[in-house]
Amino acid sequence: MKPLFTLLASSLVSASLFSSLSIADDDASAWQHTVDQAAGQTVYWNAWGGADNINAYIEWVADRVAKDYQIQLKHVRIQDTANTVSRVLAEKTAGKDTDGSVDLIWINGENFRAMKENGLLYGPFSESLPNYKAYVDPKARLSLTQDFGTAVDGMESPWGMAQVIFMHDTQTLSKPPKSMRELLDYAKNHPGRITYPEPPQFLGSTFLKQALHELTPDPELLLKPVSEVNFERATQPLWAFLDELHPVAWRRGAVFPSSSEEMMRLLDDREIDIALSFDVSAASVQIEQGNLPDTVRSYVLSQGTIGNTHFVAIPYNSDAKEAAQVVANFLLSPEAQAYKQHPTVWGDMTVLDYASLDNEQKARFDDLPKGIATLSVDELGTTLPEPHSTWMEALESAWRERYAQ
Amino acid sequence: MGFLGVFLPSFGIDPAAGSDQFTLTAWKQLFHSAEFWSGLSLSLFIGVVSTALSYWIATSLVIACFGSHWFDRLNTFIAPILSIPHVAISIGLIFLISPSGWLVRWFSPWLTGFERPPNWLIVQDPQGWSMILALVIKETPYLVFAIMAALSQLDARSRIQTAKILGHTTISAWHGTLLGPLYRLVRLPIMIVLAFSITVVDVALIIGPNTPSTLAVTLLRWFNDPSLMLRGQASAAAIVLACGVVCMMLLWEACYFIYDKLRKYVTLSGDGITNIRPLTWFSALVGSGIFLLTALTLIVLPIWAFAHRWRFPDTWPSQFSLNTISRLGQRLFELSMSSLSLALVSGFVALLISLVLLERERRFLQSKLVTTMMLFTVLMPQITLLFGIQVGLLWTGWNGNWWSVLLLHLIYVLPYVYLTLKAPYLAFDERILQQANLLKDSPIKNYLLIKLPLLKVSLSAAFALGFAVSMAQYLPTIMSGEGRINTLTTEAVARASSGDRKLVSSLALIQAFLPLICFYLATVMPKHWTTWRVALRRKFC
Repeated sequence: MKPLFTLLASSLVSASLFSSLSIADDDASAWQHTVDQAAGQTVYWNAWGGADNINAYIEWVADRVAKDYQIQLKHVRIQDTANTVSRVLAEKTAGKDTDGSVDLIWINGENFRAMKENGLLYGPFSESLPNYKAYVDPKARLSLTQDFGTAVDGMESPWGMAQVIFMHDTQTLSKPPKSMRELLDYAKNHPGRITYPEPPQFLGSTFLKQALHELTPDPELLLKPVSEVNFERATQPLWAFLDELHPVAWRRGAVFPSSSEEMMRLLDDREIDIALSFDVSAASVQIEQGNLPDTVRSYVLSQGTIGNTHFVAIPYNSDAKEAAQVVANFLLSPEAQAYKQHPTVWGDMTVLDYASLDNEQKARFDDLPKGIATLSVDELGTTLPEPHSTWMEALESAWRERYAQ
Repeated sequence: MGFLGVFLPSFGIDPAAGSDQFTLTAWKQLFHSAEFWSGLSLSLFIGVVSTALSYWIATSLVIACFGSHWFDRLNTFIAPILSIPHVAISIGLIFLISPSGWLVRWFSPWLTGFERPPNWLIVQDPQGWSMILALVIKETPYLVFAIMAALSQLDARSRIQTAKILGHTTISAWHGTLLGPLYRLVRLPIMIVLAFSITVVDVALIIGPNTPSTLAVTLLRWFNDPSLMLRGQASAAAIVLACGVVCMMLLWEACYFIYDKLRKYVTLSGDGITNIRPLTWFSALVGSGIFLLTALTLIVLPIWAFAHRWRFPDTWPSQFSLNTISRLGQRLFELSMSSLSLALVSGFVALLISLVLLERERRFLQSKLVTTMMLFTVLMPQITLLFGIQVGLLWTGWNGNWWSVLLLHLIYVLPYVYLTLKAPYLAFDERILQQANLLKDSPIKNYLLIKLPLLKVSLSAAFALGFAVSMAQYLPTIMSGEGRINTLTTEAVARASSGDRKLVSSLALIQAFLPLICFYLATVMPKHWTTWRVALRRKFC
């Protein structure tokens, strides 16, 4: 009986093994087909070109895909992703459904929603990328499947993660305020030393969302579209907070810095005491470039800070969809992700699941040097989800109505 | 075409956004937007005040310098300033006057006691005074230049003499007899300054207020909104802005009319004009202060470009390095090349077109149509015209490449080149060419080898101006370049408020020096051209 059972069991196992192998085989051959077609294609990648280190990283990617896959990757340096969205939309309106000018786009949030809702994207494709299947755990973070509250549905492929961090100079401020309430108290005791970027700059809007998350009575509501929520009631504590903050803020709330970079400059000049960034390695990079003193350190709020994932997507009218997918897949390789996380290369956090990596790949990440002012994943603490992308617009216009007239 | 492109979208007809229904929604939205009203009044206020101040300071400077050796010095000093782009001046000004800027650093902490920068609202103040200062710095030299050019057409010396004999002082003679006719000659430059100051985008982005911004900046933001919902509203605002400019010009003229009457009355009544004397000297003093600020602006830029650490309140950088330049070398080179190629090609093409237009005008018709078109382009708000053209370009899909950027640059370079070249070209003594044609019957060769070389001073001056205009273009570049074509100017504006003062100053520095070099070459080359040419020929032939 026993041998029979063993035989039966083993045949069952082998059958299931075989079938799964054959599926894998199918997938592998389908992917191989994509890779074959990709060779020789040119990918125009519209990606924000405002940071030299990121541009250099993209150049490195271009060199690698040229060598490994014979793909010509051209970085189209744009200043505002919204322009690319309107460009693709204009192409669709003009009936240009093939040979579009954009093949790959670095995107998230509002722009992704605009493209998805207008049917401007190719897909779903991301969940069938080999490296996605092997190394990404969609359950690890909400932001991998919900991009600012819009379902990703495989229409964009994750590239990196960002989280809000705060920076302070330990020589001027040794114990930084770790909540919005403490921040307000600090501002009252030290008038003119606290500020935040001006919405609709995205970090400024993120500061509003961060404050709202802490102050609103029911943060769960933020995940719903704004039209389904009583906006007045949900945001009332935020406006009360800002009304108190502005008179004691930098320049008495009449002027706001325009970006994270300007905040760091103001921190360096000691005009302000706390700066914000969406880039966890910002402080280390700026110290190295001589733009911040080496006494600056990063920290996060005790209740956690807002984080999100940024993606790459393929417009529906691209003529190089295969090559674009191969590039997206390469971006998800442990090698590319580890190199990207190198603090002096870019310092952008990986989207890969550490546990899914083999030992050699884990070592790549373990060996990364850490900048003196960069927080580890543990120190970064809780990541709060981005509110639904409709909140951004609503908060921005409400803010401008109140404070920018 | 540009006009249609901005008119139709404001009524809901925007082929690029896929709507073709006639509606008034955009206009209703606009009039309900509080940012619109505050932005509009801010724009008008800044435009009028900065133009009035520039005009007043410029005339005072000319009055104060006229007749002394300072007059010639003024002439040589302002000419190069004209070629420096607004963006570079604005960036340098921020480094100078902001609470953590160079001026405060000079006096800190030993005099002021500031260990940390004071919380002063100087730069980007909500009333726009810092922006007014930037505009005055840049526009005063331009108006001085225009006034000096106009003065040569008036017999200034004898007018002043006559007035003096009648018992006026020099200054009251100026106000009584010269400024009136002078104004009629410089009316056009003043209107250009007025239209420019109301609608400028790059200066406003760098040093203008942002709670709220000026209308031009606000509507650019609406135009670029990802949802594309605000485009109609932006177009409507662009139309309002253009109308605002026209209203302000009329208002300006009306005010001047009253002022002129008042001046005549006061001059003829013979008293009450004494208090204008200290006022004139005071403004002339302010004028020299303005020049000093300009010089400091150009000094602070290279210091930042080579600094490694320069922390408040240090007067000088604590560490210098070439890191910034070498780190950014590649990028700076690419941007410079992109700026240079656009400026050289558009300057050259504009020169060719101007020659063709002028030759045609000289031979066949003395129509005013071309000049009117050119003036219209210069006076019309850039943002309004470009919106319209952009809609057209988007619709035809002819956008975002180098040629479309060149085309838009050309639209702005051509009028300046044409208008500069017009007078000297038409004043050319055609008999020289006729004589040459009699001696040797090859009109084209003679035109190229005799007429053009004789005009080389004017030609190179016109080219240098066209080059400078192209170098400074911000809006045309981002509108048609869609961020794919970047120049020193677009990058400098985009990074102006970023933390990297070293990068920004390197950009502004190159952006300021390329036109300066071109300008310098344009003045030196024609003088030595013949000598060099002859020397070369001797050597090789």
